[in-house]
Amino acid sequence: MCDLCMKHGAGGKWYLNSKHYSDKIAEQYNLRDFLLEQYKNFEQVSMRKVHGFNAVGLDYRLRMPVIGRIMKNIAGNMLHSTKPPSDPFKPEGHIGQVVPLEDAIAILEECAAEPIIEKNCMCRYMSRGIKEACCINFGVMSEIISKLPRFIPEKDKFHLTRKEAVDRFTAHNKKGYIGTIWFGPFPYINNLCSCENPECAGIRPRFDFGIMSIHKAEYVIQLDHNRCDDCRACIQKCPFKAIEINPLNKNVKVNLDKCYGCGVCRHVCPQDALYLCPRDTIPEVRGRY
Amino acid sequence: MTKKTKITIDYSRCGDGNGIDPRECCKCLQTCAPAVFLLHQTLGAEEPDPFDPKKWRVTPQWPSLCTLCMNCVKNCPVNAIEVKQ
Repeated sequence: MCDLCMKHGAGGKWYLNSKHYSDKIAEQYNLRDFLLEQYKNFEQVSMRKVHGFNAVGLDYRLRMPVIGRIMKNIAGNMLHSTKPPSDPFKPEGHIGQVVPLEDAIAILEECAAEPIIEKNCMCRYMSRGIKEACCINFGVMSEIISKLPRFIPEKDKFHLTRKEAVDRFTAHNKKGYIGTIWFGPFPYINNLCSCENPECAGIRPRFDFGIMSIHKAEYVIQLDHNRCDDCRACIQKCPFKAIEINPLNKNVKVNLDKCYGCGVCRHVCPQDALYLCPRDTIPEVRGRY
Repeated sequence: MTKKTKITIDYSRCGDGNGIDPRECCKCLQTCAPAVFLLHQTLGAEEPDPFDPKKWRVTPQWPSLCTLCMNCVKNCPVNAIEVKQ
């Protein structure tokens, strides 16, 4: 269990606690106005100054020895904030976790608040200029997106039933998109994204710079060496470069330290040799989220 | 310390309503393997969902990830990008 589950999971996983999806929380924090203000100019959020630091060229400062560490700490604290959200131009309390397909289906079937919609991924629009419908939103967030035309997909269906949402998510996951669930802002869960590695604005700070912007999944991938025939299809598919070739015997091996537990490599394995294991049962990576 | 990569975009040729609309071109965004660039509204934009091309531009946000492949420079239709190390 990660620390989010310890604090907010009510004995289980935090994203399977249906309390976080309720409209009551949205009303309590007045999230309708807050989220509309935030998503009106969403692309600007990563351009604004962070505690007086200019966001452009921030990456070189993050790589400095002392200043980098201080800035990573400040950014991490802001993202993990549990205070009521105050400034819509800061990603306060916007922390997420990687979820594999099984857990995402459980979220969509059991927890997600109606109405469910699918919107154009804003991360991909910001970083690639393409409009691809793959983010699934619930509850209050769905009402807001219908006011912002650039997020509404043109060709695909906009409002989804629970079953359609599961089908869409499964299709994205099989394409190799990483499933992620987000507090936005804490304690309201409204986003189930399917994204890729260099594009996702949440994975990038963690993967490239070490800011705690997203937690690794509750699972980790395991490889059954008896079944694996070294076809190496999974090496190309892994978005985090966690599957490698063992230089000694040229076999495929999993680097558990790098594995985020998204489980997309399973879909390309012709031998079914890859399977997910709860992170807590593997001593090497226990407690490292 | 390694040398810093400096990426500059000439906003008199791209974005801010001059030259081409970055939302329609997107060549630099799509050819960059590590996704260094960011397409966004300028900070003055306040109204919801601005359609105004004057309010959009591209910024090189993560220059430290640049691999100096020069694909953005080669593919830019108005030669607005300059990459220096």
